[in-house]
Amino acid sequence: MNMSIEKIRDPRDIKHRFGDMEADYIYTLGVAGERFFREIKENAKIFGTKCTKCNIIYVPPRMYCERCFEELKDWIEVGSKGTVHTFTIAYVDENGNRLEKPEIWAFIKIHGTEGGFIHKLGEVDIEDVCIGMEVEAVFKEKEQRTGSITDILYFKPVK
Amino acid sequence: MGRSNASRNSNNYEIIKEGEKVSEKIKEYPGHALKAEDFKEGKVLTTKWRPNAKYAWSAGIAVSRFLKELKNGKIIARKCNKCGRIMVPPRMFCEWCFKPTDEWVYVKDTGRIVTYSISYISAERGRLEKPMVVAVIAIDGASENMGILHKVEGVDIEEAKAGKLFGMRVKAVWKPPEEREGAITDIMYFKPLEGEG
Repeated sequence: MNMSIEKIRDPRDIKHRFGDMEADYIYTLGVAGERFFREIKENAKIFGTKCTKCNIIYVPPRMYCERCFEELKDWIEVGSKGTVHTFTIAYVDENGNRLEKPEIWAFIKIHGTEGGFIHKLGEVDIEDVCIGMEVEAVFKEKEQRTGSITDILYFKPVK
Repeated sequence: MGRSNASRNSNNYEIIKEGEKVSEKIKEYPGHALKAEDFKEGKVLTTKWRPNAKYAWSAGIAVSRFLKELKNGKIIARKCNKCGRIMVPPRMFCEWCFKPTDEWVYVKDTGRIVTYSISYISAERGRLEKPMVVAVIAIDGASENMGILHKVEGVDIEEAKAGKLFGMRVKAVWKPPEEREGAITDIMYFKPLEGEG
């Protein structure tokens, strides 16, 4: 008998214990992130920072221009419309559990800006999504907004 | 990375001296130090997260059997027939011979204190009312110095402080069978073996 080469695929097959690593954390958003999310929370507006030298508006805002390293002080409201730069369809959630209804996740570039962010698309069928589609942000009601990216419920196609 | 002539700490991070500038463009750093109250009062926006880091840890084949036998009030070891060592806690592979071990062998529940320490704090880091002796106990019937770590009770703490427990003969004190659950705590502690010095 050669027991030591026996393979255990599931740790629960033999004597085992369960554990849960408590790795809680609080993440601060930083100077630029703080202002960006404050504007979303209080005014439902998306802001970027502008480099006048390079003529670029960064969304999400940065404190410094990535090209010329200049400090950025001009805060510009950029509206809530943009285009779908790329997208994917998710059939499972972040824990790998099957979703009842597939979700569309897109990288959205706000019009006239550099950068963009990932968000969910709503009010659109999977068959109708395409790269380059124009979308706009749908915000939560003011009293429900907490200063997080989920203050935007989803982006919907511009009619 | 960074300036080649910079002084560095033990982690190889650059030490920025007071008044020293890293970049000519950055005259002073933006942002400000935060206090615990700033978080509590919601002065700054934050994201809280609890990562889903659950795990199941398996004791493996050898230790699973070891724990199962503890429930029966017995200590089991594993023998390598090449080097002849009887190993406790048991293992399925001999690290001397680089081959699987060969047989299960029951050993006694008596032994000898190889080394020990006096602990003044509990596993939860609270101060203990009475200090506790924790020892490595070489188990009788197993090869030399093969043993387990466990509590020792019924010894004089002053004698322990004086280093008189080295080599002391001890015996396991078991939980009643109905309370055993297949854990190392099925042995409550080891106590001095009566009739021996």
